[in-house]
Amino acid sequence: MDIQYLKAWEAELNTCIRCAYCFEGCPVFKQLGWEVDSARGKAVLTYGLLTGELEPSDYVVRKIYECSFCKDCTERCSANVAIPDILAAARADLVSAGFVYDEHRELLDKIKQTGNIFGKELTPPIREGETPILLGCRFLERSEDAQRYLEILEKIGIKPKVFDEICCGMPFGVLGYKDELIHHQQEFRKRLPADEFICLCTTCIFFIKKSYPELNPKYVIEVIRERLPNVNVKKLGLKVTYHDPCNLARGLGMVKEPRDILRMIGVEVVELPTKGKEAECCGGGGGLLVTNLELAEKIAERRLNEAIALGVDMLVTLCPTCELNLGNIAKRGDKIEVKNLLDLVWQALK
Amino acid sequence: MGKQVDIKLLESIVGKDNVSNNPAIRYVYGTDASVHQSMPDVVVQPRTIEHVQEIMRYANAELIPVIPRGAGSGMSGHTVPIDGGIILDMKRMNRILEIRPEDMYCRVEPGVVDDDLNRALKPYGMFYPPSPASSRIATIGGEIGNNASGIRSVKYGATRDYVLGMKLVLANGYLVNLGATTRVEAAGYQIHRLIVGSEGTLGIIVEATMKFIPLPKLRCLGMATFDRIEYAGDAIADIITTGAEPSMLELMDHIAIKAVNTTLNMGLPDVEAIVLFEADGKVKEAVDYEMQTMKSICEKHHGEVKAMSYDAQERTRIYAGRKKLFAALSRYKEGLACTALADDMAVPYSKMAECAKKIHEVAEKYGVIMTAYGHCGAGVMHTKILMDPTKKEQWEAAKHAVEEIYNYVHSVGGITSGEHGIAISKAPSWKKARKDLLPVMRTIKRALDPNNILNPHKLMDAPEDWLTATPLRYWVKA
Ligand SMILES: Cc1cc2nc3c(=O)[nH]c(=O)nc-3n(C[C@H](O)[C@H](O)[C@H](O)COP(=O)(O)OP(=O)(O)OC[C@H]3O[C@@H](n4cnc5c(N)ncnc54)[C@H](O)[C@@H]3O)c2cc1C
Ligand code: SF4
Ligand code: SF4
Repeated sequence: MDIQYLKAWEAELNTCIRCAYCFEGCPVFKQLGWEVDSARGKAVLTYGLLTGELEPSDYVVRKIYECSFCKDCTERCSANVAIPDILAAARADLVSAGFVYDEHRELLDKIKQTGNIFGKELTPPIREGETPILLGCRFLERSEDAQRYLEILEKIGIKPKVFDEICCGMPFGVLGYKDELIHHQQEFRKRLPADEFICLCTTCIFFIKKSYPELNPKYVIEVIRERLPNVNVKKLGLKVTYHDPCNLARGLGMVKEPRDILRMIGVEVVELPTKGKEAECCGGGGGLLVTNLELAEKIAERRLNEAIALGVDMLVTLCPTCELNLGNIAKRGDKIEVKNLLDLVWQALK
Repeated sequence: MGKQVDIKLLESIVGKDNVSNNPAIRYVYGTDASVHQSMPDVVVQPRTIEHVQEIMRYANAELIPVIPRGAGSGMSGHTVPIDGGIILDMKRMNRILEIRPEDMYCRVEPGVVDDDLNRALKPYGMFYPPSPASSRIATIGGEIGNNASGIRSVKYGATRDYVLGMKLVLANGYLVNLGATTRVEAAGYQIHRLIVGSEGTLGIIVEATMKFIPLPKLRCLGMATFDRIEYAGDAIADIITTGAEPSMLELMDHIAIKAVNTTLNMGLPDVEAIVLFEADGKVKEAVDYEMQTMKSICEKHHGEVKAMSYDAQERTRIYAGRKKLFAALSRYKEGLACTALADDMAVPYSKMAECAKKIHEVAEKYGVIMTAYGHCGAGVMHTKILMDPTKKEQWEAAKHAVEEIYNYVHSVGGITSGEHGIAISKAPSWKKARKDLLPVMRTIKRALDPNNILNPHKLMDAPEDWLTATPLRYWVKA
């Protein structure tokens, strides 16, 4: 196999001391239980691909894609090794070598055709305000929710400008289509009205901050937290648990902000056994929902059961993918409701 | 290697899902936290004692090597299968079978992770103290296999001090109950103690009975800085010999300090050595007394005590540099890797500072970077060799450096390994120093494992040259 992208990670892979500290929180390892499923296992696999000691096979490809990009490994790592970035490089080399999942190709083609992951003609709820707002594919599709979230912004004194956005390009990067990503990024940039904007989606904001260093987006929660004390809010008197999305907590270090907001709107948080930067993943990231839905759902089920065990009847989160994956499991059990924190903010401002 | 491994037969014992000879899985299980690499033929995840017994009966009859493996965090190649064979991944046998606070012991399966055990003990106000730094992933089986110890071993001892008994499956599949559940036992050979530190060469631990003790109510941590490492060494020796009772006594040399400061911007004082000292207990006056004693000793030896606190957050802050040291060393310089070589020698207290200086001297001579830090209260001196692992000549240099450091350590009455064990990479030096012991160990090994199938070629039977014992896990370029 021709190694192009992994080469750049050789020194990083040598930095890994193979201590196994990344066993502790890896959600995939917890489900599947073989060392090959852990972050260290994946570091070893990619090293094997890099050196040529390991032949790529369908099995190896599956293992490289069975990762939710939760970054728990990096967080706990003895040497801060960026396993998800290494896996993204390995995926890119595998794609170049012809190891392509039909489901991935289909998803990316949808983005190419329609600009969003759903492959649908979605009309954004256009607003001609001042501050550009990037909704992200998932909120673009949930247009009623998006309307409400825009109302929140209006109520806290922002004049949203909604534009004809396209996907931030995360799926290209995460699934290993680096060449296509470059092209897509140019198109994404073209549509942006300004370098400063507010982003509604946790995954978009994380990906944009990482992949478009020239841009200066703010995450919606930062803005709400800043401005909420200046407006009248209703205290909701709820007791919920809060699930930290990986991209927000580990990715951007935003652990306090959502909890502050919940406090401001009179919502008591009963914490899950793991929280903040140590929070367990819902299983929905890294393309796992497309690559291995069963695994993604098993991971979500584990997380949701922890929430149910707390005796609360609502789990709130911020990431629309967490919401989807945890929500799907919740609907089957009827024991707990999954909501976006923004919905509670809207309720408090109504 | 013995005969071809019969995968179907193994599947019939443990079930299809618990056996794999997939090349990718074999490749992953061919390494651990050491510099070594060698693939097994198959990996098996037993779930019950009977599974282990049946696997052993089969392997013994067919002369197939069997290597028990916990988290595979050993640093000397403990679970790297030199001759292939079966890796017994024990991590699925991870149930805490019983906690008896009234009798102060618990029974666990070998795959239980140290931190999980401590989490389970906490509600009872108890803890299992010998935890290594790797406690978040290290298994009780692996800790017994290595006789692991950690930062608090200076006060609480090593794994060997907490093993009351165990169930062991011998090479021929025979299951034996060893030890007792009581604190004392005077009934013949203390074979369970022999298994501690046996590195998987004498039997498979399938259950362990471990004692535990009450959690201390108070902890106080202090930091002292020294302009010369000799002063720090003298302070450490003095603390121990005056009978002070630290629950932690750690040393960091200037390279360790620099690593933490430059890579993580931790702002540790720019001095030649830092000593962290901690005391714990039930009564504040008693803890204060220990802390004041250690503080005065540090000051007597020209140390400056920069911080001392009971507060949990403040203690975390004081300890942060030491905690992050490993990460910092790994990032010391672009292109250098932090290799686990000559990593955990122990020397007499009086030789601590001299040993640190020797380490620096040898490193400079051979063009590698080495730091000296560790659980000096327990006599353990850690180091890591930072080098460019892609260069062949760096490995040769490392080999000479390791040899020279061990020659020094042995010449002052020190030992090869204080906590991480011998396995492959430390075997040549250890064998040289302990010639008289080897035939006795081989006799014991033959008695319990006559076909030499349990983790062969380790400890006394390891190859004479660690550098060529297995392929290196790094991509060394010509
Ligand atoms: C970053 C880092 C820090 C470390 N810090 C410390 C420290 O502070 N102190 C310390 O002592 N060690 C330390 N270690 C070394 C190592 O983690 C410990 O010794 C640990 O106890 C090994 O546990 P494991 O489950 O990984 O065992 P493994 O590495 O899997 O096995 C260790 C040995 O035990 C044998 N074994 C495993 N399970 C069984 C069983 N069921 N029956 C019989 N034999 C078995 C194996 O064959 C092997 O020889 C550290 C390692 C790393 C990577
Ligand atoms: S925690 Fe980091 S250094 Fe340790 S094995 Fe995992 S990736 Fe490697
Ligand atoms: S990113 Fe998450 S799922 Fe992927 S290897 Fe790391 S811990 Fe495991």
